[in-house]
Amino acid sequence: MNGNDAARRQGALLRLTTEIAAARDEAAVYRSLVHGLQDEAIGYSFLGAFVVDEDTGDRVLQASIGWPDAPDQWRIPAGEGLSSRAIEDGELHYTADVRGESGYLPSLASGSEIDVPLRVNGMTIGVLVVESSEPAAFGPDDFEILTAAVNQAGIAIGRARLLEQERERVEEHRALLDTMSDLSSELELERVLQAVLARAVTLIGVTGGEVAIWDEDAQELVIVASEKVGVDSIGVHIALGEGAMGHVAETNEPLIIPSYHEWLGKSVQYEDVLVHSVMAAPLMIGRRLVGAIATVHADPDHVFDEEDLRLLNLFAPQAAIAIENARLYTAAQNQREYFETLVSNSPVAIVTLDAEHEIVSCNPAFETLFGYSTEEAVGRKLDTLITTEETRSEAIGYTTEALDRPIHGMGRRNRKDGSTVDVEVLGVPVLVEGERVGLMGIYHDITELLEARREAEAANSAKSRFLASMSHELRTPLNAIIGYSELVQEEMEDLGQGDLTADLEKIHTAGKHLLSLINDVLDLSKIESGRMEMFYETFEVAEMIDDVLTTARPLIEKNQNDFDLRYEGEPGQMNGDLTKVRQMLLNLLSNASKFTEAGTIGLAVSRAGEGDTETIEFKVTDTGIGMSPEQLERVFEAFSQAEAATSSKYGGTGLGLAITKRFCRMMGGDVRVESELGVGSAFTLLLPANGTQSGESDSPMTETD
Amino acid sequence: MPRILLVEDNEMNRDMLSRRLTRRGFEVAIAVDGREGVEQASTGEYDLVLMDMSLPEIDGWEATRQLRANPDTESLPIIALTAHAMAGDREKALEAGCDDYDTKPIELKRLLSKIEALLPDGS
Repeated sequence: MNGNDAARRQGALLRLTTEIAAARDEAAVYRSLVHGLQDEAIGYSFLGAFVVDEDTGDRVLQASIGWPDAPDQWRIPAGEGLSSRAIEDGELHYTADVRGESGYLPSLASGSEIDVPLRVNGMTIGVLVVESSEPAAFGPDDFEILTAAVNQAGIAIGRARLLEQERERVEEHRALLDTMSDLSSELELERVLQAVLARAVTLIGVTGGEVAIWDEDAQELVIVASEKVGVDSIGVHIALGEGAMGHVAETNEPLIIPSYHEWLGKSVQYEDVLVHSVMAAPLMIGRRLVGAIATVHADPDHVFDEEDLRLLNLFAPQAAIAIENARLYTAAQNQREYFETLVSNSPVAIVTLDAEHEIVSCNPAFETLFGYSTEEAVGRKLDTLITTEETRSEAIGYTTEALDRPIHGMGRRNRKDGSTVDVEVLGVPVLVEGERVGLMGIYHDITELLEARREAEAANSAKSRFLASMSHELRTPLNAIIGYSELVQEEMEDLGQGDLTADLEKIHTAGKHLLSLINDVLDLSKIESGRMEMFYETFEVAEMIDDVLTTARPLIEKNQNDFDLRYEGEPGQMNGDLTKVRQMLLNLLSNASKFTEAGTIGLAVSRAGEGDTETIEFKVTDTGIGMSPEQLERVFEAFSQAEAATSSKYGGTGLGLAITKRFCRMMGGDVRVESELGVGSAFTLLLPANGTQSGESDSPMTETD
Repeated sequence: MPRILLVEDNEMNRDMLSRRLTRRGFEVAIAVDGREGVEQASTGEYDLVLMDMSLPEIDGWEATRQLRANPDTESLPIIALTAHAMAGDREKALEAGCDDYDTKPIELKRLLSKIEALLPDGS
């Protein structure tokens, strides 16, 4: 070799090194290696670069020159051919005459051969085979040049592989990120899982795979995503323990099955599917199973290893999160739809406002009630939309208060067409994570309700007017009967015609009885309809008692009864409805007199307490026929006079005590009774000494005479 | 003989009460409505007025107010007669200027004691 040649070769080697260094991936390195060495300045004609398949040990042809018939990805099994020696011991081997070698595989070039081991990071990963048609064609210069070139290639491959690994990791990360971003962009669970699965299949480099969701209620898996497993398995149900996924769902551990069809646990559902090996993993959220993922190799040469499992374990939690998130999203969506349906189907108008009182949403009932469409209403201030100037400040008051606390009110609002509607208003603040963000308003159309109430009130008032005038009409002739019978009685006595006075007395008594009946019925009907008017005034108790006794004494004495009046302490003054206190006492005294003969009627008056809680007690006792416990229970009910027989014997309406009880309650007091059959009765009126009018009767009844 | 003016629109009530009072020694004159009641009472011929409250023309309360506004009749005793114990009627009658009040149907004994209490001595 002359100096010129040497310089040219040196230049060619430099170019080769530069090219290899510039190679972007492993395949480019091999191409650069063989093409560079073919350079005429170097002059090799037959070259092949092989890489050992880690799984099988085969040498697989990556790039070649001068071997036009060599198949793509030509494989030479381990141990065969001369180049296997360089793989085995990592040394350069020179065979000066290949034809004498037993391991020689006949090829195009059949002279001499150099096998240069290709080392990356100290590991022999392949071999460069250089052939010549001539025997003994190579010398130490060739060894030097080829070793140098292959070493350069080794460094470049090492770097390319690092880059490739880096790229794969980047790819993994991107896949994970994609998975996560799918959760917000693709809302349907099955689509998300199909996307997750497709990426898992690509990343792990398998034939296909499946994802199943765990149905907690049915206790089974349902396949929701299927990718290239040779059958459309979506919708297939897999029992717990059935097949690879059923197995991992049960054990909660990943599983590799090298030969599926020989596996005892295989599912009959996959008998017709071309599956060789299977790798499956459970999908877990914490310790809770949410599904399972399986990947399959149809290629019998492919075996799952730790790296595949690492990848799958990287994917499984992400798929699980996808399922869980989608499930949560669906649940939230269902919940939202549920409430939206509730709101939109509600017969009550519902509107939501933001903190500035502007309408955010409203339901169809709101649109119907106020005549505004959602489009017209949203963004407007509610308080100006449905009010007039008269009602605006009231409405703003409700809205402002409802931002803080629930409110309830009534008012009149306006529709779009200007017509008015009476509404019941409910407002509640809307809180999100403890922060006030607005309020919800509920409007209930009570126009008809108010109309009905007005009608009922009008009817009731008509009834009351009728009762008032009726009682007046009845009383006027009755007063004449009573008055004239009394008058005629007096005049008969004056004229000495006393024989008729007994009959006149009967007319007179019957008339007075009828009058008291009418008065009682009228009182009770007024109480029942809430129209009994209370009139509070301050009066002297003793004067009131004297007044009552003017009327009561004749009744007491009629049955030869004694009367015993006792004041325990000063009776003093009382603030109450004088007329009603008088009426109650007269009732009790008249009852006592009626049911007692030749006995004693007592009235005891006492005071207790002070100020607002001071009470006056009027206790009316008798030594009459008394009542049984059963009679006592019903004594204050209307028309409950102990027995019909009693009623016909003693007279009365049976309304007196019912009226007394109600009057007492209206005055903030009560009436109590104690009684023993055959011994006597005691009725106690307990009334506030300084009562105040509650003002409950807003429409006093007028009565004319 | 004490002279009483009975202002009452109901004929039977008028008849009964006037006859019973006459029998007990009173001289009774009649007015049938509020206006007539005020006119007659203003003549100064009466010692006491029994005034129904529900009257035609002007009612008993107004009639009472008018009599009280007149210096000649401002101290003329007036007893109001009202319907069955209507709450507030007593207060209303006293406010209008009545000296006392009684409810119908009349209990003569009670009314007589009220009349006696209000009549000037020796009348």
